[in-house]
Amino acid sequence: MKNKKFFSAEHKKYLRKTRLNRLLISLGRWSVLLFIIGLWELSAQLALIDPYITSSPSRVAKTIIAWAKDGSLWLHSWTTLYETLIAFAISIGLGSLLAILLYLFTPVRKIFEPYLVVLNSLPKIALGPLLIVWVGAGTKAIVLMGILICIIITTMSMLQSFVAIPQEKILLLKTLGANRFQVLFKLILPHAIPDFISVLKINVGMAWVGTIMGEYLVSQAGLGYLINYGGLVFNLDTVMSGIVVLCILASLMYFSVATLEHYIHKKRNL
Amino acid sequence: MNKLLEFKNVKLTYQTKKNETIALENLSFSVFEEEFVSIVGPSGCGKTTILSLIASLIKPTSGSVLLCGQPVKNKTSSMVGYMFQRDNLFDWRTVFKNVCLGLSIQHKLKSPYIEKSRSLLEKYGLKDFENYYPTQLSGGMRQRVALIRTLATDPKLLLLDEPFSAVDFQTRLLVQDDVSYIIKSERKTAILVTHDISEAVSLSDRVLILTKRPAKIKCIKSLDFNKSLTPFQRRSDPKFSKYFNEIWEELKSEE
Ligand SMILES: Nc1ncnc2c1ncn2[C@@H]1O[C@H](COP(=O)(O)OP(=O)(O)OP(=O)(O)O)[C@@H](O)[C@H]1O
Ligand SMILES: [Mg+2]
Repeated sequence: MKNKKFFSAEHKKYLRKTRLNRLLISLGRWSVLLFIIGLWELSAQLALIDPYITSSPSRVAKTIIAWAKDGSLWLHSWTTLYETLIAFAISIGLGSLLAILLYLFTPVRKIFEPYLVVLNSLPKIALGPLLIVWVGAGTKAIVLMGILICIIITTMSMLQSFVAIPQEKILLLKTLGANRFQVLFKLILPHAIPDFISVLKINVGMAWVGTIMGEYLVSQAGLGYLINYGGLVFNLDTVMSGIVVLCILASLMYFSVATLEHYIHKKRNL
Repeated sequence: MNKLLEFKNVKLTYQTKKNETIALENLSFSVFEEEFVSIVGPSGCGKTTILSLIASLIKPTSGSVLLCGQPVKNKTSSMVGYMFQRDNLFDWRTVFKNVCLGLSIQHKLKSPYIEKSRSLLEKYGLKDFENYYPTQLSGGMRQRVALIRTLATDPKLLLLDEPFSAVDFQTRLLVQDDVSYIIKSERKTAILVTHDISEAVSLSDRVLILTKRPAKIKCIKSLDFNKSLTPFQRRSDPKFSKYFNEIWEELKSEE
């Protein structure tokens, strides 16, 4: 009895310590952000840096509020978000499907492997001019750029995950009489879910890279367009504000994926 | 007693890019119903190959493997249950769902089979863990779940490929008793591959000793213990060390 009480006091102490640790860490995180913003603003106010070149938090805030008032904030954010989400969804869907087909048909996989590797190492932006000529200078080209960047890495990562499954587990299913579709649905796909989530996380970043790159090349609207345009006319407030909005959107998307991951882990008891 | 399994002059060669390996040559033996047979032999001599042939994961190069008088093929695979060295439980399935894996593949997720799986879990002390995940079980429990998964599809013949080598010694002794009890009370035939002579002696009715690769039968030892002894009790029987030494001598002359 005494022992148990002692243990539980110890346990309480442990819990308190971990809670405190977590609190300190999130406190630290917010302080870093506040420190950077504060330092930036202060240097601008004291004219240590030239706000004409570096902008400043208050100018960024003003710009964003102005955009929100005249509606351009929504137009540009939505344009880019829309392109990114479409590129993201298509690459994930098509890329995974491709990986499954390549996995199921080994000879086809062997044939296409070197092509995948070459495509993966190719800087996709080099294909930009081609895309513009082929599908026209517009949303299509931008989304295609996003897809090009995401799909190869999706296919390669998923394929790698499929191939890495312990051979003995496949043998087990075969001894139970499974055909290869049963192997796919009972083992390969469920086993690959954690890797699938990592692929999602990687692609959140990649999809933004793709669409912003696409928007630099061709666009009349979107955050990439704003940032690029701001740079051209030397309006750094526009550039910085565009980047800030981009940061917010990208982290929202990342957190949605992280929430999904959390939910799946909980469901599968990981 | 009826012959359940028969190897007739089986030869098996593995083809690889560099060379071909003759794993089995001229191998003949039989296993009878409700018998527990162990296979021991030098490392790499072809023991796993024998089990793969029975499970029809590979085909013999020549000769025949007969199960109930019929050549083995994919169709007969439901008569055979294979248990590997690792338990190969699926982490994302609960204990009960792991046990039902074979049933779901063979489209037998129906009344009599499901009840059978439930009663196996209950009989062998895993009922309270039905809804646990494999990561929440001890090594010995996981091995028992793997065995019940193998039994759930009601195979006639169990193939055990060093199923106890991954657990610590104390657990191994306990699991050996469990497994032997389960196999006896379900009236199954079993073939156990092992490197551990004392395991072979404590569990089996007969021990097949193989030669170096290509494996042939070097000799067969029939073990004559009192039927009521558990594997653990056999270990303190005077005949135990006699059999152990005989098998050891045979194996040593093969190295
Ligand atoms: N798929 C394969 N391709 C080529 N050679 C193989 C293959 N599987 C096994 N072999 C070879 O066949 C021989 C017998 O292999 P097997 O796995 O049956 O031996 P084993 O008796 O089970 O060995 P261990 O005691 O180490 O488990 C070995 O020499 C091995 O290298
Ligand atoms: Mg082996």
